[in-house]
Amino acid sequence: MRSFVALFGKSPFGPLAQHAERVQETVGLIPALFESFLTGQRDETRRIYEQISKLEHKADIIKNDIRDHLPKTLLMPVDRGDVLLFLREQDRLADRAEDLGVVLTMRDTPAPESLHPSVRALVAAVLEAAGEWFRVAASLPLLEDASFAGPEVARVMEQIRRISNLEWEADKRQAEAGTALFAHEQQLDPVSVVLWMRIHRVLGSVADHAENTADLLRVMLAKR
Amino acid sequence: MTPGLLLLLAVLLGGLYMAWGIGANDVANAMGTSVGSGALTLLGAILLAGILEFSGAVAIGSNVTQTISKGIIDTEMFAPSGPLGERGPLLLGVGMLCSLIGAAVWLHAATHLGLPVSTTHAIVGAVVGIGLVSFGIPGIDWGKLGQIVGSWVVSPLLGGLLAYISFRAIRAYILSAADPVRATVRFAPYIVAGVVAIMVLSFIYKVLRNRVDAPSIAVSVAAALAAGVAAGVLASAVTRNIAPAPGMNPYQYVERVFALLQIATACFVAFAHGANDAANAVGPVAAVVTLYQTGYREVAASVGVPLWVMVLGGAGIVLGLATLGHKVIATVGREITEITPTRGFSAEFGAATTVLLASSLGLPISTTHTLVGAVVGVGMARGIGALNLQIIRNIATSWLATVPVAAGVAALLYMIGRRFLV
Repeated sequence: MRSFVALFGKSPFGPLAQHAERVQETVGLIPALFESFLTGQRDETRRIYEQISKLEHKADIIKNDIRDHLPKTLLMPVDRGDVLLFLREQDRLADRAEDLGVVLTMRDTPAPESLHPSVRALVAAVLEAAGEWFRVAASLPLLEDASFAGPEVARVMEQIRRISNLEWEADKRQAEAGTALFAHEQQLDPVSVVLWMRIHRVLGSVADHAENTADLLRVMLAKR
Repeated sequence: MTPGLLLLLAVLLGGLYMAWGIGANDVANAMGTSVGSGALTLLGAILLAGILEFSGAVAIGSNVTQTISKGIIDTEMFAPSGPLGERGPLLLGVGMLCSLIGAAVWLHAATHLGLPVSTTHAIVGAVVGIGLVSFGIPGIDWGKLGQIVGSWVVSPLLGGLLAYISFRAIRAYILSAADPVRATVRFAPYIVAGVVAIMVLSFIYKVLRNRVDAPSIAVSVAAALAAGVAAGVLASAVTRNIAPAPGMNPYQYVERVFALLQIATACFVAFAHGANDAANAVGPVAAVVTLYQTGYREVAASVGVPLWVMVLGGAGIVLGLATLGHKVIATVGREITEITPTRGFSAEFGAATTVLLASSLGLPISTTHTLVGAVVGVGMARGIGALNLQIIRNIATSWLATVPVAAGVAALLYMIGRRFLV
């Protein structure tokens, strides 16, 4: 009997969905972070950054818990290496959210009105890509129930394709934001321009990581 | 109170103790996954297990019992005309008692040490110990022992293969279907029919085979098919009445239907386990009963297994699972939450079929290890989130440990015993 119980390891798919939930919480604070920054409420920006930081740490705890329970001797329906890569990539979404908090609070960078539309458009595009990803991640336990076969897989693959398109849209918004920035570069000092480029890049990378994570899931599902 | 009667009573008690231990420990193999997946309540599991373990022991257990009491060691060498002379039969009786105690003691110690040992391996090891002490290498039927050890390797593999095929079929026809609910309603009756037909066929074949009025193979198969069809029709009526609740995801519905199937296969496993494992306790007892009946004057050419002896074994198992088994089942059920009814069904079906096959061939195998093999088979078919294959290494280690240690303990007891008692 004892050997029978010891046979069952902890399935990673539930915890992976939980990790995604924590990461979603950090990314979900990005719009509020930017709104407070753009409207000059820098104290609020700092407060939200600290919240993001705490949530990112909680996500890290789940991440390490998953890693602790994935010995090499574990037999899973998908490749162990794929699961670990997936986890790392998903975690990077939370890391980038925290990076944004750091960049927005480490210097009192001005946010001229002329930049607001392009920045808000970029934030919206990035959140849409990430949001689609979180919907997919939430259905990981359902995929496990279906034994990674059937209509569920087809549905998820379709969502992954959509995330690719959304990431492309985010790339375009990022380019537009850069163009808008240089169109109004006279309103800013050189250091601020550099920082704004950095802000655009980190925002864009959130969508990139969402797409990468989706691609890793695609690889997991494709190796049938 | 002659020494002979004393010996008989001691062996009966030893056998009862061993059977009790088997019931307490191993019943979780059959019922644990069903309680864990929610298909059965704890009380339901105990009741079903009690009825089925007992039936399996009484109905089919005699083949394996004969192997343990007569197959491993050549009991002819204990005959009065043999090298041990007139004390031969009595020494055989003492040997059987020591093998029971040796195996039971090792099981107790190993349980304390948290080792995954098998009652089957322990008793086989103990009997080997007795044979070696009595006559050295020639005292053991090495061919038979080789078959037994071979079956210990083959049974998890076969269980795994059958479980793998079962789950792949479920996955392909039901889980992959565009409408899993409709697929379940369509296919479940056939699955039920198949399982029931196999169970009925093996039951008829084994129980009635040795009777004078045994039905022919044609009649047996026809009866099994009829039972299967009847069960299938009943199942289809039942599944039509289980409509999916609104908002329930389709896979939850599939699992609910398969929960019923899992109960059926859990019964199958309990039955098969009773058939195979009761012999671990009853084998030595049957040998001594036969000896006693001849006044320890001769070693019978064949060991018939009296019904009351099988009943004793079955009763011991039921006692064990009723008194301690619930704790074990509760623990197993609580700790295994990863197994859903579709997976549980596949694993249990693969394991039970393998165990029944081994029982009909007279091979004592480990039901625990067969079930482990079956679960790994389902895991290979991508049925389970995470299986720790480290356990396979642990099982191999326990194989290497149990047989020599049980043999050693039994041999030691025997060497002491034959100096004092005879």
